[in-house]
Amino acid sequence: MATATDDTLTKVSTEGATEFVQSFYVALQSNRPSIELYYAAQPTTILFNGNQVADGAAVQEIFTNQMPTAKYEAQSFDCQIINRAYPSITPNGPKPPSEMTVKDMSILVMVSGHVRYGDGSDLPQRGFSETFVLIPNPTSDKGKRRKEWLIQSQNFRLVV
Amino acid sequence: MKTMKSRRPGGASGGGIRKRGPTRTDRDGDMDMDNSARGGKRGRGDSGRSSRAGGGRSAGGSRPQTRDRTLNAIQQAISENNNKDSAQANVRHGKGGKGNSTQISITGWRKSNASTKRDGGVENLISFCERKLNSAPKGSRFKVTKSRVEGDILVVSVHPEWTERLLQLNGKLFAGVNITVELYDSSTAVLGQQLATSGSTSASTADTKLKITSILGKRFNPAAKLLDLSKLVDDTDLQAMGIFNSTTTQSKFFPAMMKVWEMQFTSSSERREAVESVSLAQNQLANVSVVTTMAQTFADIKNLDLSNNNFKDSQSMVAWRWKFRNLEFLDLTGNDFSSKPDFKATMLKWYPKLQTLNNVQVRTAEEVAAQKKTPIPIQAPHFQDDSQIAENFIRTFFASYDNNRNELINQFYDENSKFSLNVNVQAPKVQQTETAGWDSYIKRSRNLSKITHLSARMNRIYTGPQKIGEMWNSLPQTRHPDMATHPEQFLVECHQVPGLPDPTGQSPTGVGGLIITVHGKFDESVDGKVETRSFDRSFIIGPGNGPGGIRVLNDILCARAYGGHEAWSPESQPIPQAMAPMPAIAANPAASLAPAAATALPGFPEGYGAPAPGKTDTQVQQEQLVIQISTKSGMTLQYSEMALSGNGWNLDAAWKNFEELKAQGALPPTAFLNGA
Repeated sequence: MATATDDTLTKVSTEGATEFVQSFYVALQSNRPSIELYYAAQPTTILFNGNQVADGAAVQEIFTNQMPTAKYEAQSFDCQIINRAYPSITPNGPKPPSEMTVKDMSILVMVSGHVRYGDGSDLPQRGFSETFVLIPNPTSDKGKRRKEWLIQSQNFRLVV
Repeated sequence: MKTMKSRRPGGASGGGIRKRGPTRTDRDGDMDMDNSARGGKRGRGDSGRSSRAGGGRSAGGSRPQTRDRTLNAIQQAISENNNKDSAQANVRHGKGGKGNSTQISITGWRKSNASTKRDGGVENLISFCERKLNSAPKGSRFKVTKSRVEGDILVVSVHPEWTERLLQLNGKLFAGVNITVELYDSSTAVLGQQLATSGSTSASTADTKLKITSILGKRFNPAAKLLDLSKLVDDTDLQAMGIFNSTTTQSKFFPAMMKVWEMQFTSSSERREAVESVSLAQNQLANVSVVTTMAQTFADIKNLDLSNNNFKDSQSMVAWRWKFRNLEFLDLTGNDFSSKPDFKATMLKWYPKLQTLNNVQVRTAEEVAAQKKTPIPIQAPHFQDDSQIAENFIRTFFASYDNNRNELINQFYDENSKFSLNVNVQAPKVQQTETAGWDSYIKRSRNLSKITHLSARMNRIYTGPQKIGEMWNSLPQTRHPDMATHPEQFLVECHQVPGLPDPTGQSPTGVGGLIITVHGKFDESVDGKVETRSFDRSFIIGPGNGPGGIRVLNDILCARAYGGHEAWSPESQPIPQAMAPMPAIAANPAASLAPAAATALPGFPEGYGAPAPGKTDTQVQQEQLVIQISTKSGMTLQYSEMALSGNGWNLDAAWKNFEELKAQGALPPTAFLNGA
């Protein structure tokens, strides 16, 4: 992997995080059958208000079958690169550095916003804070729905 | 002189509320403070300055002029209140709401020998200041380009570089009197304008403030947290001040009284907590327009008595449709509105926490609580620590962040550590009371939804101890609650994170660490007032050379308006108050670090290594590997997990790695179960 410059790293990480934030909350809101696609195959920890959820499929199941409508707004978010050469595990073992690109980075994303559960503008808006660790998608499929980064861990909390 | 606003039709006694307050009007340095026909294009016209006579012109104040002056002054108080933001900006900074200028107030000149001039001596005073500051031969020339008069105050706006030298004129002799030069504070100015309200030109600012404070004092019951503003018309003190001599004066007095109330408090939380109940009963109010500023001053009250007024329908109260969001008790008996068919439904709709309306229960506490119920139950924090690595770090962190940020950086931050801050300026908040702005933060906020240019995104992230240190030291001093005595005010969650960069560069597959997320609050001092804010902060920590063998890799801080801590209080089992130490962590059975009954291994959570709902097979396998290597090596869960995740969960490789590190003495005592 060629050594990427700081501006490339910043551009790739912030645009990756922006893309993620802009699409993930839309999925929770109005495209719940796509939720699973945002998750790594074996996430480390997924938490919603302290409740641990096993994986992306379980999150999708919960949002599809148990959650009322929810209107999210990510008012403020930021990201940082955690590991600029994240050691992805591919079906052939760990991805060798020679095959890595600038996108093989893991990213810490933190979002502050509000959510309203249920229909009706009189329902309260709750403040939330959510932290994600995103890792590069180890698969190489070229599908349109492919995400560049996947959720390795997620911690959602209502804070107001 | 340009005049931004024309006089109202009807002339001097028109007295409508003008839309522009002094701070905004000052934008062009032009404002018609007083009898605009006078003090016109005289003198220094080509300088671009508009100096003019002020509200308290001493000589020749015939009655109509005095009256006009009175109304103008009160109107300024009103429009300042209506224009909260700029008024607050002034209170906070003693300078203009916009632009890069400082406002300085000069007083004491009214009694100078120049006061017989038609402008009361304003021009002479400005010339005096300019002459004094230009007496030094070097440097750029000082020129007052913006000024205005508010009562007895001459307010000049100057570039900040001149502030200090101008303030040095404090106490200097001008035309036979010593002048006072200080930073302008609009709250003082409001009081100055209140002089006029009293109808007595001889009353001093302090005297007026004293009178209003005394009236409020008589009506305030601190024990009951009640401010009784009922029957104001019958108040002999107010009558003595001449408040009710005209209906206009009467209506304009209220906002000024609110201002005086606010000035008594040094922090918004103190102000908020002082009063829970306000009575405006028996005030002949036909609508809330006269008293509407009360909704800002007492935004968070629970009880409001509006009984025996003249509210006819919801329209008479519509200005308070979105106010008083925490109102639980409302009394509108003795108003026609109460007998309207839509009365109850409208009030229930307007005030989501309303429980008692006209002394009848209309909603239960449970029903109010149910509104906040979430589809995802609130659980105790998930805190998967080991050997108290995260706990020790967090305890150290917030104490040191308040007291010695540099030391914290030296201990835990290295050349690759990153810090960035974002401010959610529109975050939901629990209180409606106005809060201080974000001036100290906003220039560094890396909210990526607003900061879209690459260069700004690069500039607003700080890497390495030096840059992080500079950044932190530029932020206001903070005071976080003590975690041991106020654990409920924090929520700390923690779990493992694999795939971190290896600081030694030895492990291409990365090392393991912890991600810690903290929600809480802190106090800071904003221009002498204590402001409480909320924050969210996520850290990634990994092996390093800091205390406990760790370092901070990532640190993201989000600051937002105070949002309380009720949101994370578990629904079924509220977190016990003041249960030390760190019950928020201890309360979570999964995080119990005590030698657990159900597991043979000290320091391992109950059920670790065993299948459980929500646990993937891989997780169980990994936990079993961790137990194996921990048993074999004597290392803690945390270090065992790091060794494994850093070696692709290969037991042999992890063991080999352990032996190497142990031989090098690279493992801290805290890496071992019996260590430290």
